Amino acid sequence: MTDETVSQHKFLGIPGNVWTLGMLAIGAILTTIDFVLAFFYTPLVVGAQVAETRIINGIAVSNQLLFSQKIFYFHVPVAIGSFLVFFFTAYYGVRFLMTKEKKFDTRAKIATEVTLLFVVLTLITGDIWTRFEWGVWWVWEPRLTTYFIMTLLVIAYFVLRASIEDEERRATYAAVFGIIAFLDAPISFAITRLIPSSVHPVVLRSGGGLTGSQLVAFLLGLFGMLMVAWVVYQVRLREELAKERIEALKASLEG
Amino acid sequence: MRQFKAILKKDIVMELRTKEMLTSMGLYAVLVLVVYQIALSQAGASFDVLRIAAGLLWLAIIFTSLLGLNRSLVHEKDQGCLDALLLAPIDRPVIFFAKAIGNLIFLSVVEVIVLPLFYFFFLAGKTIGGPIWMIPLPMIIGSIGIAGVGTLLATMSVNTNGKDLILPVLFIPIMFPLLYASVAATTAVLIGDPGYATVYWNSLALGAGYDAIMLLAAYGLYEFIIGA
Amino acid sequence: MTDTSTTEFALEVRDLSRTFGARKALDGVSFDLPKGAFLSIFGPNGAGKTTMLKVLSTLTSPSKGTAKVMGLDVVADAVLLREQIGFISHNPLLYPDLTAEENLQFFADLYCIPDPEARIDELLTSVELEHRRLDAVRTFSRGMTQRLSIARALLARPDVIFLDEPYSGLDPHAMDILDNLVAQVRDQHTFVMISHDLAKGLELCSHALILAKGKVVLFEEKEAIDTEAFSATYRATVGMGVS
Repeated sequence: MTDETVSQHKFLGIPGNVWTLGMLAIGAILTTIDFVLAFFYTPLVVGAQVAETRIINGIAVSNQLLFSQKIFYFHVPVAIGSFLVFFFTAYYGVRFLMTKEKKFDTRAKIATEVTLLFVVLTLITGDIWTRFEWGVWWVWEPRLTTYFIMTLLVIAYFVLRASIEDEERRATYAAVFGIIAFLDAPISFAITRLIPSSVHPVVLRSGGGLTGSQLVAFLLGLFGMLMVAWVVYQVRLREELAKERIEALKASLEG
Repeated sequence: MRQFKAILKKDIVMELRTKEMLTSMGLYAVLVLVVYQIALSQAGASFDVLRIAAGLLWLAIIFTSLLGLNRSLVHEKDQGCLDALLLAPIDRPVIFFAKAIGNLIFLSVVEVIVLPLFYFFFLAGKTIGGPIWMIPLPMIIGSIGIAGVGTLLATMSVNTNGKDLILPVLFIPIMFPLLYASVAATTAVLIGDPGYATVYWNSLALGAGYDAIMLLAAYGLYEFIIGA
Repeated sequence: MTDTSTTEFALEVRDLSRTFGARKALDGVSFDLPKGAFLSIFGPNGAGKTTMLKVLSTLTSPSKGTAKVMGLDVVADAVLLREQIGFISHNPLLYPDLTAEENLQFFADLYCIPDPEARIDELLTSVELEHRRLDAVRTFSRGMTQRLSIARALLARPDVIFLDEPYSGLDPHAMDILDNLVAQVRDQHTFVMISHDLAKGLELCSHALILAKGKVVLFEEKEAIDTEAFSATYRATVGMGVS
C-alpha cells in the first residue's frame, strides 16, 4: 500500500508541508497586493463597450469609464483559474480511464471541488461587475451564461458521483462525464459569443492591451489565485489520503 | 455489420411490438403543446409567438427525448441483457452506434409528428420568413447531437440510483450549446429578418461542429462506461 | 509457459487479482483446469466468485495477474475468446418481448453463426421448446426461460460454459431438465459453475474450488476429496462471512 502523505514528498529538498504553507502565505500576499494595486494605483480603463448604443434600465449606455472595472483584477484570474483547474478534472479522468487506479479518481474529484469553488466565485464576481456596469443583477451575456453552465456541469458531476454506490463504476462514470463536461465548457463560450442574440447585448471588452501597471496587477492576481487553488487542492488531497488510510486499517483489522 | 443490423433491428422490432416508447413520447409531446397553450393564453393579442416558436419547439423536443432515451436503455438493463451484449464477440463501438441510431430514428418519428402539430396549433396563418426547406436542417443536426450524446449519458444514468432523474441533470448543461445553435438557426428561418441567412448558416455550422466534437468524444468514451 | 499446456488446459489462472483502492475482490488466485472438466466454485457471499466468473468471461478485466481460457488471454484476446464462451446465469439474458425464435436469431447474428436456421431448429428441439418457438418469452415459465437460456448459450458451440447459480429459483422439474441438458452436452464442453448447493455442486463436478475473501481456500480434484472433510471446510468458510 503506498503511503503518500504530502509531507513525505520532497520537492527541491523541501518537504511538501512547508511548500503548502509557503504557497498559502505567498498566494494570500499576492492576492492582497493585487487588490491594493487594483483599487489604488492602476489607472481607470475605458470600460466595456456595447456594439451599439443600448437602453438598459432606462439609461443610454455606450461607453463607460468605470471604477467598478477594478473587479476585473479579481474576476478574470478566478475565471482563468477555474478553467485551468477544470482541465485537471479531465486530465485525471483520462489517466484514470487508462490505468483504473483509484488515486487518479481521488485527484479528479478534488480538482473538481476546487473548480466548483472557483467557478462560483467567478459567477459571483462576474455578477457584481455586471451590477455595477449595467445596473441590473443578471444579464444573459456570453460570459455569465457560460460560467453558469459551467457551474451546472460541475454540480452535475457531483450529483452523478453521489448517485452511484459501486466505487469503480462511480470513478469510471465520473471520469467520462468530467471529460465531456470539460469539452463542453469552451464550446458553450464559443457558441454564445459567435451567435449574436437579438435580445442580449454582445459585450465587447476592450481588454486588448494592458499597460504596464495594469499588467503587473493582473499577473499578480493570476499567480496568487493559482497558488491558492493549489493549496486548497493539497489540503483536500491530504484529507482524502488520511481517510483512505483509515479505511485500509479498518479493512485489515477485520481480516 | 451483421451485428449492427441485428441490434438495430431488434430494438425496432421490440418497439413496434410494444409501442411503449413511441406512444409515450408522442403523447408527451402533445401534452407539452397543451401546456404551451396555457402558458401563452394570457400573452395578449399583439404577442408575436413566432419569435419564441423555435424555442418552444426545441423545448418540446428536448423533454421528449429525455423520456425516450431513458426508456430505450431500461430494456437492456431489465433482464440483464446488457451483459448478454457484452459477452458477445462484438466491438463496443458497434453497440454505441446501433443504440444511437435507434434513438435517432425514434426521435425523428416523434419530430415528424410534432412539427406539423406545432404549426397547426400555433403558427397557422402566420407567414414564415425563410424558405420551408431550411427548416428541417437544424432539426437533423440537432437530433443527431441529441441522439449521440444522449445515448452516452442515458447509458450512464440508467445505471445510477437516481435513474431517470439524473439524465436531465447531465443532459441539459451538456446539450446547451447545441440547443442554443439550433434555436438560433430555426428562429432565423421562421422570422426571416434581413440577414437571416448568415445567422442561419453560421448557427448550423456551429451546431455541426458541436456534433463532430461531441460525437467523437462519445464514441471514444462509450466502451468505458458500458463495461463498468 | 510451455506450448503444450495451452492446449491442455481450459483455464489457466496465475496470481489473479482484482482490486480497487483498498478493496480486494480477488487476491492472488491461481489454478489450472484441464479441458473437459467440470469446476464447481463454492464460497460465502462476497468471496469473489462472481467477480472470478466475470473476469474469466471477459466482462471485467483483472488488476493484476493473468487468466487464460482455452489458451486465450482474457484481456489481449478478449473478442476472440467471447466466441468460445457460453454464459448461463440466474438472469435469463433474454428479451421478454421477442419470441423464442427471434431471441435465438438475434444471438445467432451477434455471434455470426453460419447457417443459423438449422442450428436454431436443432437447439429448440433439444431443449423441447419447438412448440413454443413463436411465443414471446414473456409468456414462458421460469423453467422454460432457463431452457431457452441454455439454448442461447449453446448457439455458438462454445468450448467453455459458465454457469452462475443456474438452479436458483427453479422447481424440481425444471432442475431435472437442466440436469438432463447438461448431461447431454457434458462431454463436449468444459463447465465452470458457481453454486450455493453443496450436494449438487459436488455431484456434478470433477474439480472443486472454494473461495473466501478473494483467496483460494481449497482446489482439488473430486477423487481426492473426502466428502466429510470437504463439508467441514465448506461450512467453516461460509461461516467466515463477507470480506
